[in-house]
Amino acid sequence: MGVISTIFGFCGFGVGISSGLVIGYFLFIYFQPTDVKNPEIRPLVERDSETLQQMLPEIPLWVKCPDYDRVDWLNKFLELMWPYLDKAICKTAKNIAKPIIAEQIPKYKIESVEFETLTLGTLPPTFQGMKVYVTDEKELIMEPCLKWAANPNVTIGVKAFGLKATVQVVDLQVFAQPRITLKPLVPAFPCFANIYVSLMEKPHVDFGLKLVGADLMSIPGLYRFVQVANMYLWPKTLEVPILDPSKAYRRPVGILHVKVVKAMNLKKKDLLGASDPYVKLKITEDKLPSKKTTVKHKNLNPEWNEEYNFTVRDPESQAVELAVYDWEQVGKHDKMGMNVVPLKELTPEEPSVKTLDLLKNMDLNDGQNEKSRGQLVVEFIYKPFKEEDLPKSFEESQTVQKAPENTPAGGGLLVVIVHEAQDVEGKHHTNPYARILFRGEERKTKHVKKNRDPRWEEEFQFMLEEPPTNDRLHVEVCSVSSRIGLLHPKETLGYIDINLSDVVSNKRINEKYHLIDSKNGRIQIELQWRTA
Amino acid sequence: MGLISGVFMGMIFGIALMAGWRHMMRYRSTKRIAKAADIKILGSLNRDDLKKICGDNFPVWISFPVYEQVKWLNKELSKLWPFVADAAELVIKESVEPLLEEYRPPGITSLKFSKLSLGNVAPKIEGIRVQSLKQGQITMDIDFRWGGDPSIILGVEAAMVASIPIQLKDLQVFTVIRVIFQLAEEIPCISAVVVALLSEPKPRIDYTLKAVGGSLTAIPGIADMIDDTVDSIITDMLQWPHRIVVPIGGIPVDTSELELKPQGKVAVTIVKANNLKNMEMIGKSDPYAVVHIKPLFKVKTNVVDNNLNPVWNQTFELIAEDKETQSLIFEVFDKDIGQDKRLGIVKLPLIDLEADTPKEAELRLLPSLDMLKIKDKKDRGSITVKVLYHEFNKEEQLSALEEEKRFLEERKKLKEAGVIGSTMDAIDGAASLVGSGVGMVGTGIGAGAGLVTAGVGTGVGLVGSGFGAVGSGLSKAGKFMGRTITGHSSKRSGTTTPVNSVQENGGAKPVQ
Repeated sequence: MGVISTIFGFCGFGVGISSGLVIGYFLFIYFQPTDVKNPEIRPLVERDSETLQQMLPEIPLWVKCPDYDRVDWLNKFLELMWPYLDKAICKTAKNIAKPIIAEQIPKYKIESVEFETLTLGTLPPTFQGMKVYVTDEKELIMEPCLKWAANPNVTIGVKAFGLKATVQVVDLQVFAQPRITLKPLVPAFPCFANIYVSLMEKPHVDFGLKLVGADLMSIPGLYRFVQVANMYLWPKTLEVPILDPSKAYRRPVGILHVKVVKAMNLKKKDLLGASDPYVKLKITEDKLPSKKTTVKHKNLNPEWNEEYNFTVRDPESQAVELAVYDWEQVGKHDKMGMNVVPLKELTPEEPSVKTLDLLKNMDLNDGQNEKSRGQLVVEFIYKPFKEEDLPKSFEESQTVQKAPENTPAGGGLLVVIVHEAQDVEGKHHTNPYARILFRGEERKTKHVKKNRDPRWEEEFQFMLEEPPTNDRLHVEVCSVSSRIGLLHPKETLGYIDINLSDVVSNKRINEKYHLIDSKNGRIQIELQWRTA
Repeated sequence: MGLISGVFMGMIFGIALMAGWRHMMRYRSTKRIAKAADIKILGSLNRDDLKKICGDNFPVWISFPVYEQVKWLNKELSKLWPFVADAAELVIKESVEPLLEEYRPPGITSLKFSKLSLGNVAPKIEGIRVQSLKQGQITMDIDFRWGGDPSIILGVEAAMVASIPIQLKDLQVFTVIRVIFQLAEEIPCISAVVVALLSEPKPRIDYTLKAVGGSLTAIPGIADMIDDTVDSIITDMLQWPHRIVVPIGGIPVDTSELELKPQGKVAVTIVKANNLKNMEMIGKSDPYAVVHIKPLFKVKTNVVDNNLNPVWNQTFELIAEDKETQSLIFEVFDKDIGQDKRLGIVKLPLIDLEADTPKEAELRLLPSLDMLKIKDKKDRGSITVKVLYHEFNKEEQLSALEEEKRFLEERKKLKEAGVIGSTMDAIDGAASLVGSGVGMVGTGIGAGAGLVTAGVGTGVGLVGSGFGAVGSGLSKAGKFMGRTITGHSSKRSGTTTPVNSVQENGGAKPVQ
């Protein structure tokens, strides 16, 4: 009897608990408002000391640490922009989600899934401090302290089997301290090739997830499972490529041979006698000065047969400009006509002879181009570099390259890169250059005129039979007077001796050294030991 | 019995569970909301807030200037600078060269960069201020300072003298850059960016000019010409209220709201001047007056020979874009062989004028507009002007805008059509010096029109072979920058008789 009573009791408890949950749900949760209210923000001055105490853990880092900078201007900017940003992001999110939802729905026998509300709320993310690190490498490191305590309202209505359920996300909070590294730096906009993001500390993520009005996140224990985003905890990083660094440096990809053969039917420009033509050649997007053929005097059908080579960096956009000029003894040389050959018109490795009509200018609508100005015969061969000739795709500065093939066993290549110096100062003149002495061999960088902070960025290589464990490298910054004078022709602005055993053990060292015999001077030198 | 008590117990337990859940929900929700409010407040602390939080332990390294300091940005910038400098050189070259061409002063046939490198010294950003002056716009003021060591070599080709390279040394820029972001509801949220230099404090752009392998005196006045060009470009393109509007990111947007538009017109009558200074050795000055709002649209009066109290009584109309900040600038010059000398300058801020009420004023001439550093208190005489400001309505505004565009285009065409405005000046200068030799007949027909009544048409028929003296009128050919509107050289004749042109407002542009 007691057993049956207990069983009944348990059954009753089971029925009771389920009905109790349902009653409780309707009693307490169902009638909870689902809309998200803007939090009431009271100015700080009005608060009492008790609420202030609660605030203390959240005090921005720039208040606590002097090495963090205040970025309130950025916060203000974001705040002003936020209403627009919010709408834009939501619109984009909806547009992206729509096709995905449409595709997935039939699989799960769901009638419809749609956003009932989608807004990120009125509170923008805030930056509570910004810290940057300065290193000697070609990189920028910054650590913003990001705090986003938002009041979003994302409600998704799901209809299936005639029933409708809603999932709502509210009060999303993300506090994180990402480290953003921009590297390597390249001389083309936006001036960096990759963005690396990693999280320095476990981020704080909190939100309310309401399923049919009940917040799942407040079930004790569940919250702990939701601590996501551990995957990018430092030293793991998220890499976002921005541009191809090899492209930014615009390495040569091929060579163009141009042979100026002859010109025909040129127009007479000189008052007396025929013109004295010569051809100017130039490849676009290159800083080099244009090349000139010899001048053929008094000739309207000159033959040159002269060859020129150009290095090509981008065959898609570059072009060769040819212009025929009339040489003059005195005064300005007259232009007799020109034409442009884009490199994409040429087939690689195939010689092509082109007869170009000379034009006044490259403007297609200019009526003056109708007039005949003669022709120019030019031969082109474009030879792209073979894969193996190509300098290997951009190598990061961290990885030390292999030594070349012919390095003796046990030996290697010592690479000295003189980056820059700071605060070097001569008594009489400051036209600094760096002089490197290693085992009696002397190398020099170019001179930088009148500059206390010269930047050389020059690389020197020494091929060695064995590791230079006991050797030293002598680097000296000197200055030579720009005037030819007897007084103070040369000055030493400072020197350092670097022990090379560290380089051999570390493979690569990139550091700023304080110069000896100099007040404040520093020099940044990178050393690499490349072995086979 | 067991069943009922079981059900009862179960119900109570279930309801209690739900109540507990709700309590938890509430608790967590209020906690989150309170935190959100805290974070929001802490995102924009001011001095009083911080005092309240920190009490006596107020961190000494914190200050709250109007322009917020951005040390971190400067650190990043100085690291990034060599790369930015490299990348920017090409961009600058491409964007500035056409500008130089447009503003190239007469007398110089070509003005191009032959070398441009931005140097090793990175610019510094002294501070940033963000404010919202208008709904849907963010205004960011950047206090920008650059005392750099760029190496800029300008290839200057002047008539008669072969190309000489001129180096711009010790370039220094100290200015506040105003950037206005027009917001939009599409990614990337910014539909257009407006860039300008704030006029207050006045942008300071300093440099020294040096001829490479030669002397600057090879071309007289070249330094002044370049100064003038740079100055015109800056005040006319960049200095607030002038601005550059850059639409961004594929959002078709109406930027006309952002552009500077004609707001009204000013009818200026330059009546007379009194007690001008005598600058000539023999006789008296030959004064004329120049007035402008924008340097590109200068107008000038006749030259009154040998008179220190000239009466001109000439009326011009000028377009004003921004009554708040723009001014009328009056200058009086002494017409002279070679360079014209400035007798004085004075400005009349438009804000002093009332719309549609004529105002007559006698303005004392000053040696320079910037009187901060000049001690000179000498009397330079005065100029009497009558000014009437008329605010445009919508239609007038549109037509004025059209007119202005048309005018600028025509001038551009004229320049493109070759020689006019540049080569011509050179020839005319040479001719008036040498006296004869070149066979040249000018048939300038004044067909002036345009915006302002003072249109000058100049046409020069260049006859290759021939001889004959040059009409003195020619030397006065309208090389007046911006005033050369029509250039029909209607006649080409081989005769030696110069056809005297209508030279209402011709005359050399004063080189200052």
